[in-house]
This record gives sequence, C-alpha cells and structure tokens, in this order.
Amino acid sequence: MTGAVALKVAYVVTWVVQLLYLRYLLGRYRRVRGEIKDLKRSS
Amino acid sequence: MKSISIAFIIFTLALLSFSTYQALVVAPTEATMGEVQRIFYYHVPSAWVAGLCFFVNFLASITYLINRKPNADAMAAASAEVGVVFCTIVLITGPIWARPVWGIWWTWDARLTTTLVLWLIYVSYLVLRRFAAGSQTQVLSAVLGIFGFVDVPIVYMSIRWFRTQHPSPVMGGGESSGLAPAMLQAFLWNLLAFTCLGVAFVMARYHLQKVENQVESEHAQLALQGGTR
Repeated sequence: MTGAVALKVAYVVTWVVQLLYLRYLLGRYRRVRGEIKDLKRSS
Repeated sequence: MKSISIAFIIFTLALLSFSTYQALVVAPTEATMGEVQRIFYYHVPSAWVAGLCFFVNFLASITYLINRKPNADAMAAASAEVGVVFCTIVLITGPIWARPVWGIWWTWDARLTTTLVLWLIYVSYLVLRRFAAGSQTQVLSAVLGIFGFVDVPIVYMSIRWFRTQHPSPVMGGGESSGLAPAMLQAFLWNLLAFTCLGVAFVMARYHLQKVENQVESEHAQLALQGGTR
C-alpha cells in the first residue's frame, strides 16, 4: 500500500465510522420518538 | 436551546470542512514520510477526543457514586460511547499509517498495546451497561469507569516511559520535539474541529439517554397503574 492510498483509506475510514455512529444515534432517536407516541396513545 | 444546538452543529460542520482543507491542502508535505503523514491530522485529534471523553466519563462516574443522580449516569454513558467511537478511529488509522512507514500493520509495543487495552476496557463498559440487569448496573459501570480511566495516563506516558516503535511525542516531548508553523496551524484547526464534533456527539447522546430514561420510567408507571386496576 502506497502512502497516498493509505492516506485516502484512513480519511474514508474516519468519516465512515463517524457517519455510522451518527446513523446509529438517529436510529435510536427515531425509536424513542415512536415509543413516546405509543405512550401518549395508551395514556 | 434548540437554535443554539443547530448553530453549534453548523459551526462544527463548517469547521470540519475548513480543517480538512487545512490538513490536505494547506499543510506542507512531510519530508521523510510524504503524503501519508497527513493521517496525523485525524489520528492525533481522534486520540485527544477519546481521552477527553474518558476523562468526562471518569468525572461523571465519580459524581454518580456521590449523588446517585441519573443525569450523571447519562453523561457517563454518553461520554464512554463517544470515546469508544474515537478510540476505534485511532486504532484503525494507526495501522493504516504504520503499514507504509514501518512495513508492518501492528506491533505489540507499549503505546499500541495500552491503547488496545483502553479500547477493550470501555467496550466492556458498554457491554456491561447493555446486558447487565438490575439496579446495580449504574453503580458497577461507574466503578468500572473510574478504574478503567487509570489506563488513560498510562497510554499518554507510554511513549515517554518505554522505548517504542511508535514515534516519541511530537509536542511536549522536549527540545527536539515540535511542529513546523504551517503544520501546527493545520493540526490546531483539526484539534478544534474534532473537539467540537466530540462535544456535539456527547451532547446528542446525553440528550438521547435522558429521553430514554424518561420513557422507561413512564413505561414502568403505566405498568404499575395497569397492575393496580
């Protein structure tokens, strides 16, 4: 692996990890929002 | 509060774009390693944010053991999770940098090994929180957070205490250490941008944890009402 390729791979991996975490957080937010709606309906 | 959060997110995104430009275009190419050295501008700020998050976890864990307030526990959970995300980036970008420079992906030197141990400690912290049942989970995770933090100064000092394959400190490592002014500027922009990103992630995760706790207590209340009818 050359230096330029390694640089690109490292940057892509960094942003992929952060975007995956952001997606995970948004998924959890969506689920909690659904649960709040269910709670309001049942009370 | 919501408008402040949105403004902070926009500021962080702008800062990230600018710092990436600084790292990839403005900063000069390092004479010995060449282009691959630019990984430094992501690798080191990620390590800094991970250490900062674990320090916040340490403080929040102590606070929780003293006052048993759920908000302290929520902050501990949020900071540990974000710390693991950034520590994961460190452990991935490190070997990618090492391969073209050292000729190997990994070596069991003091810095690399203690960083891997740190990651494992906080992954086990998150596993404990996820799978342990009962009222003692928060207390146990707070204790693990406090003892786990012991590894953070060891990681930091490892390249000073031991002879390692990992380079000696670039900053704060004595007279021979230091960065060229143009490199230092790019590094500081990236440090600021990554710190802001880490803060944004921790605040979002903290808010999420508080909402989840609230929903959970409302579920319990509803179940109790159903049982008494």
